[in-house]
Formats: sequence, structure tokens, C-alpha cells
Amino acid sequence: MLAAAHAGRRSILQPQRAAQLFLLPSIVVLLLLLAIPVLYSIWLSLTDANLSAGRLDTPFVGLENYSNLLQDKAVHNALLNTLYFTVVEVGGVLLLGLSTALLLNHPLGRWSGFRVLLLLPWAIAPVANAVLWKWIYHANYGVLNAILKSLGVIDSNVTWLGEPFRALNMLLIVDIWKSTPFIAILLLAALQNIPRSLYRAARMDGASAWQSFRYITLPSLKIPLAIAAILQTIWSLRTFDLIFVLTKGGPADGTVVMNFLAYRVTFNFLKFGYGASIANLIFLTSLLLAIAYMRLLKPVGRR
Amino acid sequence: MVLALALFVLLTMAPFVWLLLSSFLEQKALISTPPDLSLASFTLANYREVISSAAQLAKGIRNSLIISGFTTCLALLLGAPAAYALARLNVKNKDLLLLLILAAQMFPAIVIVIPLFIAASKLGLIDTRTNLILVYLSFNLPVVIWVLRGFFYSLPSGLERAARIDGATTIQTFRWIILPISLPPLFAAASFAFIEAWNEFFLALIMTRQNAQTVPLVISSFAGQYQTIFGQMMAAAAISIAPIMLLTFLLRTTILRGFADGLLKG
Amino acid sequence: MKPLLPLSRRELLKTAAASSLAGLAWPVSSQQAMAQSKTLSVFAPRPPDPAPPGAAKFSEAAFAEWQKANDSSVSYDLVPWPELHDKMATTFASGEHVWDVVYMSGWVPEFAKFLTPFSAKLSKELVDDLPKSSFATVTWGGETSGVVFTLSLLTLFHNTELLQKAGFKEAPKTWDELKAAAKETTRDGQFGWVLNYGEPAGIGGTASYWMCFLQQAGGKLYNDDATPAFNNDAGRAALQMMIDLMPYTDPGSISYVGINDATNVMTAGKAAMMMNWPFMWKPANDPAASKIVGKLAGALLPAGPAGTASIDGTDAWTITKTSKDPDLAIKLIEFYLDKEVQKRQAIDTGWLPIRLSILSDPEVQSALPNAAVVLEQAKHPYDSYVTPDYNEVTVAIGTEINKALAGKSNAKDALAEAESLVSAIVKKRS
Repeated sequence: MLAAAHAGRRSILQPQRAAQLFLLPSIVVLLLLLAIPVLYSIWLSLTDANLSAGRLDTPFVGLENYSNLLQDKAVHNALLNTLYFTVVEVGGVLLLGLSTALLLNHPLGRWSGFRVLLLLPWAIAPVANAVLWKWIYHANYGVLNAILKSLGVIDSNVTWLGEPFRALNMLLIVDIWKSTPFIAILLLAALQNIPRSLYRAARMDGASAWQSFRYITLPSLKIPLAIAAILQTIWSLRTFDLIFVLTKGGPADGTVVMNFLAYRVTFNFLKFGYGASIANLIFLTSLLLAIAYMRLLKPVGRR
Repeated sequence: MVLALALFVLLTMAPFVWLLLSSFLEQKALISTPPDLSLASFTLANYREVISSAAQLAKGIRNSLIISGFTTCLALLLGAPAAYALARLNVKNKDLLLLLILAAQMFPAIVIVIPLFIAASKLGLIDTRTNLILVYLSFNLPVVIWVLRGFFYSLPSGLERAARIDGATTIQTFRWIILPISLPPLFAAASFAFIEAWNEFFLALIMTRQNAQTVPLVISSFAGQYQTIFGQMMAAAAISIAPIMLLTFLLRTTILRGFADGLLKG
Repeated sequence: MKPLLPLSRRELLKTAAASSLAGLAWPVSSQQAMAQSKTLSVFAPRPPDPAPPGAAKFSEAAFAEWQKANDSSVSYDLVPWPELHDKMATTFASGEHVWDVVYMSGWVPEFAKFLTPFSAKLSKELVDDLPKSSFATVTWGGETSGVVFTLSLLTLFHNTELLQKAGFKEAPKTWDELKAAAKETTRDGQFGWVLNYGEPAGIGGTASYWMCFLQQAGGKLYNDDATPAFNNDAGRAALQMMIDLMPYTDPGSISYVGINDATNVMTAGKAAMMMNWPFMWKPANDPAASKIVGKLAGALLPAGPAGTASIDGTDAWTITKTSKDPDLAIKLIEFYLDKEVQKRQAIDTGWLPIRLSILSDPEVQSALPNAAVVLEQAKHPYDSYVTPDYNEVTVAIGTEINKALAGKSNAKDALAEAESLVSAIVKKRS
């Protein structure tokens, strides 16, 4: 094959030819699948695309959508909600994920059954998960109210999704529950890579458990935690199913986040151009975060 | 410590216990306050209804298995060599490519759905499994590349040199030396891709009609506008989790090892 | 290192991929084979939401016969109701021809330019048997592009047992009676009123419920020049009525996004009254799903200062402009509206017919006692005020109403804000 064809110049040309051969199919597939839709979305955001004429009309309006974005109260509201939601979710997932990882790394938590359990929330289809929690949270016959009442924690039914801020927090509980497993597994794997000898040496030097954690565990987890944070942020920005099923953005737009707003504008109001501009904003945010991700990883050179 | 573990199990499992319980309960019992857990309310009717042909769950599972399976295979086929090239071979603009690949999976589906729909429609691919297999590559391929790249990057650098001394070409090195020792991260990347494809909803909704329905669509069909039989939906969800749980159970240790090396070593 | 298999993994994957792609070509070729006879493609919701014969279990034999008699095959594209609009919007935006007959619920003005006006071609016998006003919601820009196939108006459903226990022998007939009845039936974890105020948009959303009260107060949504006409005494009275009911309303109502969230509270016997679509009759009398079998009754919506009024669910069939055989599509729709098919639709699935003759059919009336009520309700105003920007308008109004109901605003401020929002939206209407 290639070996025979490049017999004489093997050591110089071949790696590069091979590299192109290896890379090209993936690049082509991704370009075909995404480059065109992305360029289309950027172009669409520069138009006032609508269906009023019996087809997708795209009158050019330049940056008008983006300037409207900046002045739109609904966008400001969504940005605030998104900021709160993302920060709390990433913080919550990292905290819970780390705790779970530490727990399962402990001798008592080593049973592999725990790890399988951990995967359950990740495995369940988001659609079913959303409906499940909708019924759990139901103000009248939801099982959450039933349990809390029987435990005496509350006297009467709480309308969990009835207050804007409370609803947002209830959504956070569900999403954190669903997102923690993957991060926990990530951190658990990182924990298992830390050499035991370090802990033994620290113990022999008289270090307490907290000191071991602070000076051995945490520094070793610096990069995995950063990676987890950025991946989770990118995914938090795409939250949709939960809001669509549980609150539809309500009450009073209290749970409208940027991704949901983009959906509402595009598919409910059929303002494809404006919706595209909102979606592009989301993408831009994720991209900037990705660049941050790569910067963080740079210092880790080859072994 | 035992308390912490117990809490962990409780918090993880509690919603699931409710999911399973509800799948065996009549609607009447579920809307009672408190939910009526007396023996009389338990029924197999939900499962019977879901399994019967009207519910199309079997077709959905079959479609999902085929779609998720093949998109994962394709992602590996295309992604493993690409990851290797980006990790070990001399490639120009490596960082830019890596960034673009990561960026590819950041798109909200609403951004890409209309142009993809138009293209698929013109190619006659609407409502085929092939269509979803290809479209899902858009978010599977980047993840596979990133996970595998991290792993390949952390392999000892002497491997290629030793292979070249023995007279192997790059392709041969990749196929006979690198791949066989990469089983854990290959399976890890594959599992991530499989589960994400299995659970994907929005693109499947827009791109399919009656033939290529996937499991999430079948599950969502139990939520009507005027009426939702909760027990039936939970039964469908319970059945559809089974293949994934089986998969993750069988591969739990390899997944764990794979992720450690894949995402962390950069 | 020796590989585990005689074939390398890549070769295995390659053969798998190749053979799978070959196997996947199958569905495509068999679809081509089926395209011999004329095909019609219908886009409809999944049962139990209103679905046509063959999709829902009624008149299946007649349906098979129709296909044979017209030498055509009808394929159904069924989707859960909440996802209809998204799929429709994407398909229309793409310009591709996918369906011939499409179900619409208040979206005809929105997609008017994609539909064929065909009601002029319907048989006179059929048109005479339909309520004239049923064509209002499927008409836009002077063109009538659809035909409603089920009479779906909001009426008052009440739990006769709960009302009697509180001393009321019949359902309330006026706003004051409604308030009194709600007050007396609210006690011990049970409420007088329940509804889904959580979803602002569309027909069946918060804004649309208020539109019932608005018409009962003698108001209307738009002036003749399409500017908002509701920020007045009538609009405020309507919203105030809903606010006054709140102390006797299930508090969860603020958060219920779907009507079934509220229906379930009523079928559990925890609420005495609610507004609902005729379809409620069936699940409420299903022993496996309901605790109030036999205790439910229907009545006219209580009258405000200007009498009773309601809104139209507007479930209609339409024909796309891209359809290659619109005449065959018209024939199919006429079949859906055939007398016998309409009768079976009512008795077998619980969706009332639209034909006046079938509505007064004794068999239908005895199977669905609330049919008479809905027929009576249809003699009073029922405007849903659908426009192309209906979603935008109802989100604006519904969000303000939700705030007022939650106590975050009052009737005056909420409607003033809603009016300014709707004015801005209307200005962009071409």
C-alpha cells in the first residue's frame, strides 16, 4: 500500500500524508454538517426572516436584530436568569460531584454497585425525566408535597413552581441531580489517579485529614475541576427540556433562560432572524468559554 | 460515612423509585392526595398498553439501537484516526482545529435544525435512520475526538519510534499498535456517544415522521395536550432505560478508566 | 502486540458500516414502490388528542373503504400535540412539500399563506350543516382555508356532589353565583375552582381564559383598526373576576402549564368547578383514571354583565398550497366530516361532532350528555381572536395576567402594561 508507494521517502512525507488521511474525513463531515448551518444561522440573524409571504422571506436588516437584542427587556431578563442558573448549577454540580467522588473513593464506598447507581440519573431520557419531576412537583397531588406533609415539614401544599425564583431553584435541583453523575465519575477517575504514597507520606508526617485534602487532593484536582466547570457551563447554557415541560418559561417569565428565549422567538413567534441572533449569542458565549478551557489546559505539557 | 453513603443512595434513587412505582399504578391512584399506594391500585395495565403495538415502543427501541449503534461506530471510525492525528502527528493549526471541533458541539439544536431539514429533505432522507445517524455525528464526533485525543496524547512517545524502526508505516502503527491498547477510552467515548444519541429529542422530532421514530419520541407521545397517562409514560421510560443500564453495567470499569485518561491529560 | 481478532477492529467497523448503509437503503426503496397509487399525507395529533379515523380508533372500516373507493392510500404523520406547531413551522419554513392535509388549532392566520382556500368547494349540504361562526377562526385576509371538525368550546364542568354538599342545587349562572359557589366549596383541602394559569400562550393558555371573561363583560380584544380595545372597564372587570376567584382557587393553578394538570385535580375530586373542553367528559368518567365517575356535569359558562361567552378550540383541517392533489384532499376532509364518521367520532373518542344534525342526534346526546350544553354555548359569542401573531400577543397578555393572579400586580396595571405591549406588536403587523 502506502508503504510500498513511498518506499524511498517514507520517513519524511508519510506521516503528513497519513495525518491528512486521518483527519480529512472527520473535518469534511463536521464541515458539511455544521459549517453550513452555522453560516446560515449567522446570515439569518442579519435578516428579518419571516413566513408571512408563504415562504421563508429573508429581507436584509444588517445588525438591527443585535441592537434590538441589547434593548429588549425580555433578553435582559433571560440573561439574568441564565447567569443565576448557570453559576448555581455549575457550583452545585461541582460541589456535589466532588463530594460524591470523595465518598465513592473512600474504602466504604468502593462497591461497584454505587457506581452503577450513580449512572441512573444520567441514563434516563430527558423527556421522561422532565415529566417525572413535573408530577413530583405538582402542587396538588405531587409526591414531594405528600412526603413533606407526612414528615411534618410543611402543613399545607407548597406550589413549588408558582413563584418565579422558587421555580428556578426547583429546576436547578432537577438539573443538578441529572448532571452530577457525569462530573462525579470524571472527578472519581481523577481521584483514583492520585498516588496512595502521597497520602501515606502525609500521614506519617502527622497531617490531618483536612490538611491532606487541602494540600494533596485539591491541587491534584485543579485541572479536572476546571475542565468539569467549563464543560458543565457549556451544557448549562443549553438547558431546554426541563423548562419546556415544567414551566414553559413561567411563572411570569421567571424561568426563561437564553436558550428557551431563542426557542420561543424562533418557533412560537416565527421570528427566525431574531431567534438566530439570540442563538448566536449563546454560541458566542460558549466559544469564549471554550477558549478559556484551552488556555487552562495549555500548561499541562507532555510527560 | 455510612450516613453519607445512605444519603447518596437515597438522593440518587428516590426519583427512580417513584418512576418505577408509578409505572405500576393506576392514574386514579396517582392523582389522589396522598398518592394511593394500597394494593388495589397496582396494575400491569400500563406496561400492557405500552408494550402493545399501538405504543410502538418496540419499533422505537429497535430504531434507537440501530441509530445509536451506527452513529457511535461511525464516530469512532472517523474520530479515532482524527484524534490520533491531532495528538501524535504533525498537523498545522492543531489548536485552531481542536477549538473548532469543541465549538461544534456547543450549538443549540434550534440553530442547525432548519438548514439540516432542508438538506435532508432534498436528499430524500427525511424519516430515515441514515439521516439521524449522520446528523448525530454533529455532536458525537467532537466528543469522541476530544476524549480519544487526550488519551493518545498521554501515551509514551517512544511507541511510534519503535514501530518505525521495525519498518511500520503510520497507518500500520495506528492500526496494530495504538488501537489495541486503547480499548478503555474507545469504549468510554463510545458509551458517551451512544447515550447522548439514545436520548436526543429535538432533532429526532423534526427529522422523522412515522418510520424512524426513536425512543424519546415514543416516550413523549404519552404526554398529550388534553390528557397524560403518567403511569404509561413511566412504564415506557422504565423499559427504555433497560438497554442503557445493561450497557453501562457491563462497561462500568472500562468507562471509569477511560474517562480518567481521556479528558484530563489535555 | 498481536490483535485479538483475525480482522482488525477497523476492518470490522468498516464492514459493519458498509453493510448497514446498504441495509438502511431498504426503507427508501420500499417507499418508492408504494408511490404507485395516489397518496395523501396527513399531519395530525396523536390520540387521545383530536385525531382522524384510522389514527384514532373509530370508523376504521369506513376509512379503508374510502381509500379503496378513491384509489388512494392515506399516510398519517402523528405527533404529540405540544410538538405540532414546531414541526409545522420548520417544515413550512423549509419550503418542502411534506403533507397534503394538516391539522390546525388557531394557527390558520399564522400560516395562511401556506394553505389553500377550499371551503368554497365544499358541498352545500355540508356547509349548511355547520355552524356559520365555526369558519371565523379559519378565515384570514378574506380567505377561508380550513374547516373545523369538532365543536370544542369551553364550558363549565362541575362536580354535582361537591356543589350539593355546599347547598347548591344547580351550577352557577352568573358571576356572583360563581363566586359564591366557589367560596362555599372551598374547605378541607378542596377548592372551588382550578385552572391552568401557568402557560400564557395560545388557545387554552392564560390569556385565552381571560378572553372568555372579557366577552362575558361585553368587551373585545381589538378595535376595527386592530388596535387593542381591552384596556377598559370590561377588560378590567374580566381580570378582576379572575382575581376575585383566586382565594377559592387551587393555589397550584398559577403553576399548572397544561390543562391536564388542572383536570387531574378535578377528577381527583379536589376541585368543584373548572372551565374545560368537551373532551373532559371521557377521562372524567373513566374508572381507572377518575374518582368522580358519574358526578360530573356540564353547564354554560356563568354570565357576566353581557351574558355568557366562550372561546373556540378551533381544531380544523386545512390543505397545503403544495399539495399535488387538492381535490382528493378535499374529498378526504369531506369524508372526515361525513355524518356517520362524525357520529362515531363523538361516541367512540369523546370529541364532539361539528355537524349540527349529529350534535342533536339522540344517540350522541345520550352518550355525551354535555353535547347539548356545548350546542347551547355555541349560540353565544365565542371569539378566540386568532391572528398571525397570536402567540406573541397571548404571551404578552398572559404573562401580565399571571402576575396579577399571583398578586404581583393589579387589574389596572396589568392591563395597561399588556395594552402597551400589544400595541407594539400590532404596529409590526403588516
